[in-house]
Amino acid sequence: MNVFSALKLYITKMTEESGPGMKVLLMDKQTTSIVSNVYSKSEILQKEVYLFERIDSGAQPEGLRHLKCIVFLRPTAENISLLCRELRCPKYGVYYIYFSNIIAKADIKTLAESDEQEVVREVHEFYADYLALNPHLFSLGINVCVQDLRWIPTHLQRTAQGIISVLLSLRKCPFIRYQGGSDMSKILAEKIRETFSKESNLFDFRQELNPLLLIVDRRDDPVTPLLNQWTYQAMVHELLTINNNRVDLSHVNGISKELAEVVLSAEHDEFYAQNLYLNFGEIGQMIKTLMDDFQKKSKKNQKLESIADIKNFVEMYPQFKKISGTVSKHVTVVGELSSLVGKHNLLEVSELEQELSCQSEHSTQLQKIKKLINDSRVRDVDATRLVMLYALHYEKHSNNDITGLLDMLKKKGVPATYTKLVYSILEYSGVHARQSNLFNHEGVSKITKKLFMGLSGVDNIYTQHKPLLVETLDDLLKGRLSTQTFPYLGNMVMSKRPQEIIVFIVGGATYEESLAVNNWNKQNPGTKIILGGTTIHNFQTFTEEIQSATNSITRRYRSRNN
Amino acid sequence: MAEGEQMLEGFLCSICKTDLKTPHQLTKHFEEYHNDNPEILKTLKELYGKAKKKILKHEGSSEELVTLDTSLKYRESSLDFYYNDWEPQELGETRSYTRYFTEVRNVRLERYSAETNKLIIRLDKLLNELPSDPISRRVHEQSIVPWIDDKSVKLCPTCARSFHVARRKHHCRLCGAVMCHDCTMFLALGDARNMVNPTLVQDDSAISPTSTESRISGRFVRAGIGLSKLARSPSSGSLNSIISLVNDPSRSEQHFRLCVHCEELLRFREQLKERKLSKPIICQFYEKMRSYIDEANEHSVMYNKMCESLRKGETTYNLQDAQTLRVKIAKLAENIDLISKRISILGIKDVDNPPKGQTLKLQQMIRSAATTFLKEHLLNSKPLPTEEEYTAFKERRRKAIEDRIEHERQMEMEELQRERRREQQNREALISDFVIVSRNDQMILDKSQGWGPSSATPILASSMDPIIEQMNNLRAYIKQARDAHKYDEVATLETNLRELQSAYFAMNQGNSSDS
Repeated sequence: MNVFSALKLYITKMTEESGPGMKVLLMDKQTTSIVSNVYSKSEILQKEVYLFERIDSGAQPEGLRHLKCIVFLRPTAENISLLCRELRCPKYGVYYIYFSNIIAKADIKTLAESDEQEVVREVHEFYADYLALNPHLFSLGINVCVQDLRWIPTHLQRTAQGIISVLLSLRKCPFIRYQGGSDMSKILAEKIRETFSKESNLFDFRQELNPLLLIVDRRDDPVTPLLNQWTYQAMVHELLTINNNRVDLSHVNGISKELAEVVLSAEHDEFYAQNLYLNFGEIGQMIKTLMDDFQKKSKKNQKLESIADIKNFVEMYPQFKKISGTVSKHVTVVGELSSLVGKHNLLEVSELEQELSCQSEHSTQLQKIKKLINDSRVRDVDATRLVMLYALHYEKHSNNDITGLLDMLKKKGVPATYTKLVYSILEYSGVHARQSNLFNHEGVSKITKKLFMGLSGVDNIYTQHKPLLVETLDDLLKGRLSTQTFPYLGNMVMSKRPQEIIVFIVGGATYEESLAVNNWNKQNPGTKIILGGTTIHNFQTFTEEIQSATNSITRRYRSRNN
Repeated sequence: MAEGEQMLEGFLCSICKTDLKTPHQLTKHFEEYHNDNPEILKTLKELYGKAKKKILKHEGSSEELVTLDTSLKYRESSLDFYYNDWEPQELGETRSYTRYFTEVRNVRLERYSAETNKLIIRLDKLLNELPSDPISRRVHEQSIVPWIDDKSVKLCPTCARSFHVARRKHHCRLCGAVMCHDCTMFLALGDARNMVNPTLVQDDSAISPTSTESRISGRFVRAGIGLSKLARSPSSGSLNSIISLVNDPSRSEQHFRLCVHCEELLRFREQLKERKLSKPIICQFYEKMRSYIDEANEHSVMYNKMCESLRKGETTYNLQDAQTLRVKIAKLAENIDLISKRISILGIKDVDNPPKGQTLKLQQMIRSAATTFLKEHLLNSKPLPTEEEYTAFKERRRKAIEDRIEHERQMEMEELQRERRREQQNREALISDFVIVSRNDQMILDKSQGWGPSSATPILASSMDPIIEQMNNLRAYIKQARDAHKYDEVATLETNLRELQSAYFAMNQGNSSDS
């Protein structure tokens, strides 16, 4: 159950099956990001893959007959017809074709009929049809999957295919449970089962560890993607946006050219791998030791007095260079993060966000929101997310002052696209849409825990919030998850405790949830959990999803002023 | 027993007399180094089994074994935790369509290939004893491929235009169909011969691979353009034919007239043939580079192993061997660098047609891959210890081993004493234990006499002795293996040699004592 190595194995196999020789990799847009997520360029060069082509690039035919072509495509109609054209007048010597998902036999036939020059050597299905971000985290790269609270049909198709390929690449044929109140979850679950029965010979695995696929809906927990984050990976995504392991820093003032876009991949960056889940404060500490270490090394390198010194330097140089790259990268990223934190008063904002999500003190919280909205340092997005959290929490509170806060936002000059979000999120996942009680489940144990946490350290204030998913998983593993709220698909009911769980969040997962799952895996070696989502959200992408979801539905909530 | 001979005891290996301090490790040692002798291993295991059973009856002494086992396990699990907490992933499900694909393709291609083969056979027949005289040539042609009666064809079947004085009818020499002049091609006789007899083709195709495309199409000459002067060959009773006969009787002999369809099939076949033969210069360079890389990889793995072992002060490998290997790797690295550089500038000097687009990119990428390979695998390798360092390492290791033996022995002694004190009744078992140890001692002492520097100069008196011959053979093998940089084999061969030497020595000793 490691999606990252599952994909890597597939791609390694592709590069090796064609034997030695110069190779070119022919991909489409999506498979390009699938490959680039798990393989770095220098790594794949060592596999003798020297060129990367896009099938839809429409490049001029240039005879490179001495190259072997590895074709890795999604089995879409467009790709098939492009590939047919390619095979009719082949640019390369031989072709090894891999489809990332189940392909219709008729399409194979069309391809075979186009291969008049007998250039194709192999045709396979390799189920690498999703983006693996961490060993336990995958995404399908669909930022907006819902329109008017319904699936966008093409994205439903893609999502089902993605999950199918996750299951096949891990060789699992799981039981399925889904969020009872969510139509989207149910439709997806049924779509997946359809494929199970259609391709029953593919899914004929020996099952020892009771795998379970749990489909939940983002609408049940709208809070998590609204919060500012303080662990490294999540924070970078929230403030700078990670896209296919890449972070765009070109907007930062005075950035050098090689740092305009940096790659953050745990696989190839030891520092990142170690600190992915650490708090911002700890990261600062780590960066400092990294710097010290580096300085010590570079000082050692500076005095090149004897031949031995020079020899030593030459031997150390490649390593030295690598470290210097890592150092400058992380120093830049962390520097940018901390400047954003300071500039936009994020500490105070985040503290209030956490309070809003975990505690109920209506009047004091209302005052604090008002104060922060008037703070000129606070960004529009942050002011908006505070009001959104307030609206979600106190939707049914008799004295709530959503309209008043909205007026304040408008006065502050927050654009209408943001102010609209406050009602949109209630539409998207107000009390009527949620199954679980997000805010009022404060048991005694929780309060004491919180008190304890509050005492033990300052930075914990910013990470009090625990995603709803943690609770759901806890219930599930203790066998307490009600079959009413999370029914099984079909009549089958699992008798044993699941040991392998694949959680899929319709409407996008978050890095906070990824962290929670990672911790869970660390603490419970007996069970393995993999998290997936239509995408990995931050506030920005989540608002896009909400906008699309609530664009033209009849409004349940109206602001009284218009 | 000779004086000054050190008494050896403990868990000794009966063959190479190293002290392995615990039964577990001794067994392992046997499995690793002396696995050529399974019987010894078996007996050893049996002995341990018995001894262990007896020892385990005493509560106290079992402790050590248990802690050893658990400590080993603990180390493994902590290692796992260090790497990551994910069990190794196996390759996911795959499904192959290759068979179905080729089935469908073959059905389709068979039609083509049957047709093409027919044409090639006809071409062969046409070329066979082709008369030079136009009229008899036409008879020859028609005898092989029956021509369609041109009266029945009103329009050109390809371009659907009508025939008249300016657009005359022509027959394809391979299928006998009627076409207009524009829809036919000429195939030069020389090229036709090459097609039929492929051994003649290879001469130039390997040399100018870049222009294969143009060369193939150049073989077929569009009738309308290049050779418009070519007259149609004489058809019965037309005035034209008589004129052409008179005018230039030799012209049409150089070509066959083909219809576009036949031409396409033939061209297609030629392309396939070209593709199989084409191998541009970059490939040759590249293959060379890859072979160097493979060799370097092999050597560097070996080198790292040797380096590691030397740094530990072990004597498995020779420091000099490692040095020569290092030089060899450096040379290979140089070669790789050189070739990849040459690949990257391949064709740059060609001013008219410099490499561009993908070709250029390919060359650059190969170069950058080669440099990363050099950087990561070859330049990063650890330096070897110098002679002095190596002797220091050896000394340290010897010390460490001695300390360990000392420590172990002490432990053993204490253990024994404790046992002796505590368990009076089980004297029986202890006695049998001693038997084991003393038996081991016996064996070792026999062998250890023969193992020493003196045996390095074997007596060459009886050169007919099979053992000496064997030893000489071994020495030759070692030399060969060293030349081939197979240092693992050198190491094993050397131990073999030592064993033989000791056996030989022991035998000699026996002989001399007899006599």
